[in-house]
Amino acid sequence: MIPSSHRVLLAGLLVAACRGAAPRGELPPPAAAPSDTTCLVATGRITPRDTVTVALTEPVDPMHAPVPYNGAERFVFAQLYETLIRVDCQGRVLPALARSWGQGAADRWTVTLRSDARFWDGAPVTARDVLAAWRVRDASIAQAVTILDDRTLGIDPSGLSFQRFADPALAVTKSAPGGGWPIGTGDHWTTGAAAAGDALWASPVPGAALPAIKVTVTTASDARDAIDGNVDLLLTSDPAALEYARTRSGYQDVPLEWDHTYVLLAPAGSGLDVGALRLESLPQAVHVDARPAQADDGQFWFADLKRCGLPAEPASPTVPPRRRVVYEQADRDARDLAARLVGLAAFGRGAVVAGLARTAFEPTFRGGTDAAYVLRVRRRTVDACAAGRQLPAWVLRGSITPLIDTRTHLLARRGLPRLSVDWDGAVRLGAR
Amino acid sequence: MSFRARVLAGFGVVVLVPLVVFGVRVRADMADRLTAEYQRRVASLAAVIRADLSRDSAGIAARLDALKEAIAMDNKFRRAALEGVERAYLLDYAGSAMRFTGLSMLLIQDDQGRIISSGHFRNEYDRLEPDLPRLLAVAPGGMALVEARTAEAALLALARVDSLRLGGRRFTLVGGVAVDSSFLARLAPDSELTVAPALPSDTLVRVDTAAQVVSALAVPFVALGDSARLREARIVVTHSLAPLAALRRRVDAAFVAAALLTAAIALLLASWLSSLISRPLGELARRTAEIDMERLDVTFESERADEIGMLTRLLGAMTERLRVGAAQLREAERRIAVGDLARQVNHDIKNGLIPIRNVVRHLLDAARAGPDQLAAAWRDRQATVESSVSYLEQLATNYARLYPQPGRKPCDVNDAVRETIRRVGDASRGELRTELADELPAVQTDPVVLRRILENLVGNALDSLESRSGTVTVLTARAAGADDGRPVVRITVADTGKGMSREELNRAFDDFYTTKPGGTGLGLSIVRRLVLDANGALRVETEPGGGSKFIVELPGAGA
Repeated sequence: MIPSSHRVLLAGLLVAACRGAAPRGELPPPAAAPSDTTCLVATGRITPRDTVTVALTEPVDPMHAPVPYNGAERFVFAQLYETLIRVDCQGRVLPALARSWGQGAADRWTVTLRSDARFWDGAPVTARDVLAAWRVRDASIAQAVTILDDRTLGIDPSGLSFQRFADPALAVTKSAPGGGWPIGTGDHWTTGAAAAGDALWASPVPGAALPAIKVTVTTASDARDAIDGNVDLLLTSDPAALEYARTRSGYQDVPLEWDHTYVLLAPAGSGLDVGALRLESLPQAVHVDARPAQADDGQFWFADLKRCGLPAEPASPTVPPRRRVVYEQADRDARDLAARLVGLAAFGRGAVVAGLARTAFEPTFRGGTDAAYVLRVRRRTVDACAAGRQLPAWVLRGSITPLIDTRTHLLARRGLPRLSVDWDGAVRLGAR
Repeated sequence: MSFRARVLAGFGVVVLVPLVVFGVRVRADMADRLTAEYQRRVASLAAVIRADLSRDSAGIAARLDALKEAIAMDNKFRRAALEGVERAYLLDYAGSAMRFTGLSMLLIQDDQGRIISSGHFRNEYDRLEPDLPRLLAVAPGGMALVEARTAEAALLALARVDSLRLGGRRFTLVGGVAVDSSFLARLAPDSELTVAPALPSDTLVRVDTAAQVVSALAVPFVALGDSARLREARIVVTHSLAPLAALRRRVDAAFVAAALLTAAIALLLASWLSSLISRPLGELARRTAEIDMERLDVTFESERADEIGMLTRLLGAMTERLRVGAAQLREAERRIAVGDLARQVNHDIKNGLIPIRNVVRHLLDAARAGPDQLAAAWRDRQATVESSVSYLEQLATNYARLYPQPGRKPCDVNDAVRETIRRVGDASRGELRTELADELPAVQTDPVVLRRILENLVGNALDSLESRSGTVTVLTARAAGADDGRPVVRITVADTGKGMSREELNRAFDDFYTTKPGGTGLGLSIVRRLVLDANGALRVETEPGGGSKFIVELPGAGA
C-alpha cells in the first residue's frame, strides 16, 4: 500500500496540462469535437473488430484507479474513467462528463453535466456524485464547489485553471461494493485484474459502439512475444521491442509526446559538478527513447519556483549530504542515469548510487540528506506552483537539473479503430 | 596449628599441587600443538590459494581469449567501435559478454584507454583509464587485484588483460572475477579458516597475531583512479585461535571442576583421617590430663590395632603401673608412717612414763625412808604423775584419731560444713565464711570421717591466719563427674593466711610435720588418708603470703 503522502507527491508531480493551456482562472469556450486529425494516431483504413488486444509492459493496479502511476495505468484508466472535460493534445478543451460550462453569477463557473451520464451500474451521475468523488481526492477543489442542481455545479475559480478538471485525479468515480475497481463513467467497465498471465477485460458500456479491450501485462523483455502474438496495441519504450516491431510490416511505430523529464535534484552543498554532467551523453545511458532535456517554451515549469512564493527551507549548517545519488528502485532509467552521473564523477570519486523502494524513497527524498535524487517528472504542468508545492522545501535552496526527456512509443497494428492522444499522453480508443 | 589443620593442609597440598602442575602442563602442551597444527593448515591453505589464483587467472585468460574471437567475428561491434554507430549496442556489449563469459568485471577500452563498454558499470563509458591495461600487462603473472568501481560500490576483482586489433586499432579487454565473499569462501573451504584481501589503502585490516594464526601471499594490486603504479596487496589467510581459546576454556573449566572435586574429596578424606587420629588422641590427652597421684582410676582401653590403640594400651599399662606404684608408695608411706608412729608412740610413751618411773622411784625411795616421807614425796610428785597421765591420755586420744572409721553412707556435705563451722567457729581466731552450692549430691562416706576432714582443714586454716582480720572460706560445689557418671562434690577450704613454701608444701602431708607450736603434725596426714580412703582426691593451691586453698573432691553417693 502506498502511503497517502507518497501518493500526493507522485500525483502532484504527475499533474500536467497541455501545451498552451489557458491562463489560470480563464474559462475556455467549449469546443466541438475537432475535425482535424492532429491528435489522432495510427490513422488509416479501419478494420472493424469486436476486440482490441493490448499489451502493456507496466503493472496495472486497481488500487491506483483513477490516478495513473505509469503509462499502462494511464492507458487503462483513460478507457474506464471520465473527467469533466478533456484536453486534447493541442490543448483544446473538449466536453466529457460536462456537457457545457459558462460564467455564472459572481464570476463563478457553472458546469452542467451530460444528461445521459451514467455510472457502470446504471445509476445517473449527479452533481453530488462529482462533489463526493472530489472530496475524497482533492478537498481543496471540493471546497470551491457548490451544487446548483442535480446536474449543475457552481465553482469558485479562485486559483484554479479550468483545465485542471481534466486531471485524472478529478475523475468521477464511486466505490464498488466489496472493493476492487472504483465504478466509473467511462466507455468501458471492468471488474477483472491484469495480473501476470491473466488478461484484463474491459467491456464497452451499452450503446458505446466500441470494441472490447483485452489487456495483458507482460514484461519488457517479453514485449516482442506480444508482437509475435499479433497483439493489436503495444505501449512500450523498450528499444529492442521497437526495433523488432519496425521489422514487422503490420505495425506502425507511433512515438508519443516527450512527456517525461528526468531531473536531478541536489540539495545545497551536495558537491555537484555541473560541468561534469555532459548532458549530451545522458540519453545513451538509458534504455528508452530519450533526448537531452529541453523545454518546449524555453523553460521548464520547475525552473522558477521562487516566483510561487514557496517557503524555502532555511540553510542548515548540519552535516554534509551523504554521497549517494538516490533513485526509486523500480525506475530502471533513473538508475541508469544515476549510474551515469556517478560514472561521470559529477559528485566526485567515491559517490555511489542507491536504489530505494518506493516506501523508503519518499521519506529519504523529503529529508534531502543525500547528494542528489534522480526523479521522473511530467514535462509540462498546468499549475507549476501547485506541482512545486509537492516538492520538498530543500529543493528551493538546491538545484533542479533537467537531464533527459523520454517518451513512449505506441506500436499499433494497421486497421485499428481511431486512437486519439490527450494532453497527458493518454491514448483513447475511438469507435470501431 | 592443630593436627587436623595440618592434615587438611597437607592433603590439600599433596593433592592439588600435582593437579595444578598437570593441568598447566596439559594446557600449555595443548596450545603449542594446536597452534602448530593451525600454522600448518594456514601455510597449506596459502599454497592452495596461490594455486587457485593461478587457475582462476588461467580461466580468465581463456574467457578473454574466447571473447576476443567473438568480438573479431562481430561486425556490429566492429562498426560500433570503429564508426561510432550503434552506440547502444556497444555500450551494452560488455554487460552481455560479461554475463556470457561468467566474468564479474569487463572493460573494453580503445587504443587511448577510453572505456567504450563496461560490463560491471555500463554507464562509465567514455572515461579514460589508460593505466589499467598497461599495469596489468606488466603485473607478475599477468594478473592483479583490481579495485574497480560500480555504480553502487567498489568492486574488487582478480583481473587480467588481453587485446585485439580491429581495423588497425588496438582494443584491450580487462576481465576479471569478483573477489567477493563467495570467492573468498571458495578459497577457504574450512570454516575455521578465513581468507581476506588486505589492500594497501585498507587501514581497517589489523591482524591480531595474538588471536590468529596468519599467513599472507602477495598479489599485485591496481586501484582505478589511483596514481599509475602497481602496488602490492595481500591475500591474508587467518586461522582464528578462537577454537583454541574455547578449548582452553573448556579444559580450564574441566580442570577447575576436577580440582574442586578433588579438593573436596581430599578435604573430606583428610577430615575423616584426621578425625580418626586426632579424636582418639584428643581423648587420650583429656584422659591423661586427669591423671595425678590422687587420681589414678582413669582407664585407657582400646581394641584398635593401630598406633593409637597401642598408645592407648601403653597409657593404660602406664596408668596401671602408676596405680600399683602409688599403692605401693602409699603402703610404704603407711609403713613408714606406722614405723614413725611406733617410734613416736614409743618415744612419747617413754616420755610419758619416764616422769612416772622417776616418781615411782622417788616414791620407793621415800617409802624406804618412812611412810611420812612417802606421803610427802607423793604430794611433791603427784602433779608430775598427773601431768604424765594426762599427757598419755592426750596422746592416746591423738592416736585414736588415726584409726579409720568404717561404715559409709550418704552424707550431706553442706550439713557437715555447717556443723563444723558451728563447732570450730571462733571469732577470735578469724572470720569464717561459707559459699554452699544448692542441690549438692550426697557423698558416700563415713560422717565422722567427713567431719574430721572438715574439722582438720578448717582448724588448720584458722590456725594459719596471722590475725583476726583473716578469713577462712568454705565452698562447696558440684564438680565435673567421672567417666562412670557418678557426681563429684568439691569442698574448698581457702584461707588468707601465710600460705606455704614449696618445701613446706612437700612435707605438709607428712606425719608429725607441723609448723604450729603445739601441733601434732598429724592433721593433714590424717586428712589425706581419710580423703583417699573415701575414694576422693585432695590437692592444694598455695603460695607464700597468698594463703592456701585445700580442695577436696569426694565421689557422690550415686548417679
